[in-house]
Amino acid sequence: MKKIAAILLAALLPLAAFAAPSTLVYGTTEKLTDLDTGSSWDFHTWEFFQNISEGLMTYTPGTTNLVPGLAEKLTANAKGDEYTVVLRKGLKFSNGDVLDANVMKWSIDRVVALKGDPESLISSYVDSVTVKDAQTLVFKLKLPAGYFPALLATPPYFPTNPKVYPADKLVHDPTELTGGAYVGVGAYKLVSYKRDQEAVFEKNPNFHGEAGKVDRVTIRYYADSTTLRLALDKGEIDLAYKSLNPADIVDEQKNAKVNTIKLDGAQIRYLAFENSQSVFKDKNLRLALAYLVNRQELLQKVYLGQNKPLYSMIPNGMWGQDTGPYKALGDAQVGKADALLKAAGFTAAKPFAFDLWYTTSHYGDAEVNQAEVLKAQLEKSTLIKVTLKSAEWATYKTQWKNKQMAVYLLGWYPDYIDPDDYTAVFARTEDSVGMGINYSSKEMDALFAKEGASSDIAVRTAAFKQIQALWAKENPTIPLWQGDLYVFTQKNVGGVKIGPTLIFNYNQLTIK
Amino acid sequence: MKNLMRYLSMRLLLTIPMLLILLTVVFIVMRVIPGDPVSAMLGDHAPVKFVAEKKHELGLDKPIWEQYIDYLAQLSRFDLGRSMILQEAVTAPILEKLPATIELTLTGLLVALGIGIPLGAWAAKNRRSVGDFTARLYGNIVYCIPVFWMGLILQMIFGVAFDWLPIAGRVGSRVMSSDFEQTGFYLVDTLLKADLKAFTDVAIHLILPALTLGITLSGIFLRLTRANMLDNLKSDFVLAARARGLPEGKVVYGHALGNAFVPVLTMLGLQFAVLLSGAILTETTFSWPGMGRLLLERIYLRDYPTVQGIIVIFALFVSVISLLVDIIHALIDPRVKY
Amino acid sequence: MKNTRVSQLPPSPGGLLNRALHAFSTAGKTYGAEWYILLVGLFIVVFMIFMTAFPWLFTSFNPSDQDAGPQLAAPGGIHLMGTDNLGRDIWARMVWGAQTILGVAFAAALISSLIGIPLGLLSGFVGGPLDRVLSLTMDSVYSFPGLILAIAFAAMMGPGVVNITLAVAVIYIPTYYRLVRGQTISIREELYVEAAQVLGAKRWTILGRYIFPNVIATTVVVFSVNIADAIMTEAALSYIGLGLPAGMPDWGMDLSMGKKFLPSGSWWLITFPGMMIMTLALGFTLLGEGLAEILNPKLLER
Repeated sequence: MKKIAAILLAALLPLAAFAAPSTLVYGTTEKLTDLDTGSSWDFHTWEFFQNISEGLMTYTPGTTNLVPGLAEKLTANAKGDEYTVVLRKGLKFSNGDVLDANVMKWSIDRVVALKGDPESLISSYVDSVTVKDAQTLVFKLKLPAGYFPALLATPPYFPTNPKVYPADKLVHDPTELTGGAYVGVGAYKLVSYKRDQEAVFEKNPNFHGEAGKVDRVTIRYYADSTTLRLALDKGEIDLAYKSLNPADIVDEQKNAKVNTIKLDGAQIRYLAFENSQSVFKDKNLRLALAYLVNRQELLQKVYLGQNKPLYSMIPNGMWGQDTGPYKALGDAQVGKADALLKAAGFTAAKPFAFDLWYTTSHYGDAEVNQAEVLKAQLEKSTLIKVTLKSAEWATYKTQWKNKQMAVYLLGWYPDYIDPDDYTAVFARTEDSVGMGINYSSKEMDALFAKEGASSDIAVRTAAFKQIQALWAKENPTIPLWQGDLYVFTQKNVGGVKIGPTLIFNYNQLTIK
Repeated sequence: MKNLMRYLSMRLLLTIPMLLILLTVVFIVMRVIPGDPVSAMLGDHAPVKFVAEKKHELGLDKPIWEQYIDYLAQLSRFDLGRSMILQEAVTAPILEKLPATIELTLTGLLVALGIGIPLGAWAAKNRRSVGDFTARLYGNIVYCIPVFWMGLILQMIFGVAFDWLPIAGRVGSRVMSSDFEQTGFYLVDTLLKADLKAFTDVAIHLILPALTLGITLSGIFLRLTRANMLDNLKSDFVLAARARGLPEGKVVYGHALGNAFVPVLTMLGLQFAVLLSGAILTETTFSWPGMGRLLLERIYLRDYPTVQGIIVIFALFVSVISLLVDIIHALIDPRVKY
Repeated sequence: MKNTRVSQLPPSPGGLLNRALHAFSTAGKTYGAEWYILLVGLFIVVFMIFMTAFPWLFTSFNPSDQDAGPQLAAPGGIHLMGTDNLGRDIWARMVWGAQTILGVAFAAALISSLIGIPLGLLSGFVGGPLDRVLSLTMDSVYSFPGLILAIAFAAMMGPGVVNITLAVAVIYIPTYYRLVRGQTISIREELYVEAAQVLGAKRWTILGRYIFPNVIATTVVVFSVNIADAIMTEAALSYIGLGLPAGMPDWGMDLSMGKKFLPSGSWWLITFPGMMIMTLALGFTLLGEGLAEILNPKLLER
């Protein structure tokens, strides 16, 4: 630790001679998991990589425009199952190490070889990676995938410095790296890191793209939302991002001393059914529940009106979304639900009784309230009797894998920004098993094959329209709402551009 | 002295069965309930193809008794093993969090003793007065206040309404713990670095948690002191002191209270478990990065070795404390024979 | 939290009923403050039990009714203690929540005593290796921080009324065991018991006639204090989020939900559930306390 401080000091001295470096302090309740593209698969750790490293493809900050990042050019063959990537010339890591096609291949192969969680994000799609020359890589895919460029923008495909990372094991903290520090290619470099306390970033002089405007970004880790809010109120932090309690968000929005930036989050929440053998294998019962939920009321009660109702599994603002079918079903349609339940043979004396599951340790404290409100909404039909059951996350996962929960609350963060990642993952026969949804329909599978085979947006949009229409009839899951995200900053902070991709680029930030 | 040593080594040996019993229960229960480290570790959407492989790697495919024997063998080499979830040794997070818990526990204890002993002595002296009755009522009431609620109320008053004191964490945003961290006891560390600013910051962060823990536990020490004082006030040596014409204040607070310390100390050994329980709850309210949060997190992750490690450390800790109490007891009270 | 006073308690001489009757007739004068402590405790306990039995007499609101009032309404008007973030009436949740906490605490105390007392009797009466093994086991559990053990069990077993009751019960078994074993040993060595033995009384007769009645008198007192401890442990587990699944009003859970509203100023969400937990625990503590002092002349001598 002393060594790092000494290095830090040495690095700072010349700067101090001219002007104090501009520093932005960013407070969060998130946690970093493993500082390794081979094992992390969570928002906050990916945010690290998006700033201290970069993908072959990347997004224009604040938009869903996919543009070349480390790549100069990306071309696909006619069938769509082979992609050729040409790297930019002269790419260097922050310490001067050269980044070429061999390093890229080494990095991607390493993720696959170490078999961490995100390995599947590569091995499910990529058959092989070959180095054509020092600047050129060829990806041979298992199936044609129009969304492959979006996958290339995810951290498992990011470069890892072979001189710093061990080839044979996953890394938890930067202290385990050769030289004790992370060395990347991003706009910023990680200069110090203290788990659950603080991370300090400084501008990377070797970055090929747009340089950061703030010299130093410091992340402060808070153990709970209440403390984060108080730190913002006291001006101890310049920016607060993820997550404040709903009641505190209401307060802060009224606070004249801070700026509020409200974003459409990429997270969606939904009700999942076990479709193959539980009581909900009857699609009319699933439809009855779809009629009964009342999204607006749910959000008002649980989140004090925050977040947005969701009438499709594809989130608001994404191309291909069609809310028509679910809007047509409506909310709180007790009469229609009752008709279906009666037809299924249920009466007030012998109601449809089932357990509704929620998890206590994954989606925050409000989850209990969400379950309670849903129970009340479903029981607006006198033909339904809901018992709430809860389990913590490890048990929850085991239970859905073992088909022990008939209906349960889940949430989804996309792995790549494409409607496919909001639909096929739940309802395509082979993917549906992993989520415990176990839905299988030939019609649905055919539609997914159709949209997956094309990279023409018009063709894919048409396919997704049909998928969403079928979804509202079959209800393998019921979409409930889409998360809003709030960033609160002091008045002197600007450049918070977090688009629908939810990628937070520190190089856009400014501080006066 | 020789007898004392023999007694102490016996006591130390007795820790082993205690450890074994607790460990066995935790070991079995954790492996019987649903969920295991591999599925907790794998993402919610990851294919399950590596599950068997990973389980084999971690030795989870062996029968429970075999895993148990392996673990005991490992433990007998004083090795707590490595985490099954994170790339770290079991001792790493424990060494990081244990000082936080101990620092809170000890400062809480000081507050509890600081309130409980004088109040108990005073109540005993004024036995059956309104003051005595009030003191005892206070003792009963604070004993019945859930420690986490006491924490919330103090936070509401001193942290939010008046905004005087921080309500969470061990240090504020302006102080970097890595600048001074050595032993993990921040009060000590900041003093070692002679960093007054950091010391003040750390001390300020300790006030509310220590008060919370201390006040709720002061009731126990109040009644203990009072009861022992009452016994002492009737004893021969107090009567003798009175007969010699010593001032009443000196008799009460000098002789009687001095002698009441020994039983209070003994009880302290027994009460340490209660103290730790209270500290764990205080941690949850004040986002204190201690053992309580670590234990819960790791149970949820099904990190078997770390959970077992935490249980072992707690068991050793309470044993060592009660041993220490015995030693001090023997040293200050010549009547104690082993 | 572990029972802290029980180990302090000197053995009771027995004859619970007679003493109680006697106590009632001359109480106020003889016992002074202790009598009032007992009365206050008794009042709280009886009131709470009454509330548990007839909750609808105390509130017209359904504790789960999310349309009882506006969200986060401050106390006053028809909502005596205000409403929570879902619009449920807090007083109604307090009234109905008493069932949950009292039920769990009572069942837990009952289970621990039903296991701890016979084991203690057996251990103390039979002695030998059985006694040593049992004592060692019980002391292990006793000296370990009880709450940590309860947290570990509750977290592992998952939420549910039965699971939480068991998690609470486990940590109090040694309390009863240690007390009963100690008493059994001391009574067994009393002259009149030894005399009975010499005269050829059967072991079961001695156990049933001499030891058991004496032991029971003390355990009644301990039981009351133990319920208070069990109440606090249940509340603690619920507060940490290890208690019951939603749908059952529960004070500890309400308190942990209210915690989120600390900086935004909804003080009633935090204040009332805690106050209820404290009052209930205090009731049983004072009752146990009063009983102990009144039933025990040795304590009264001072």
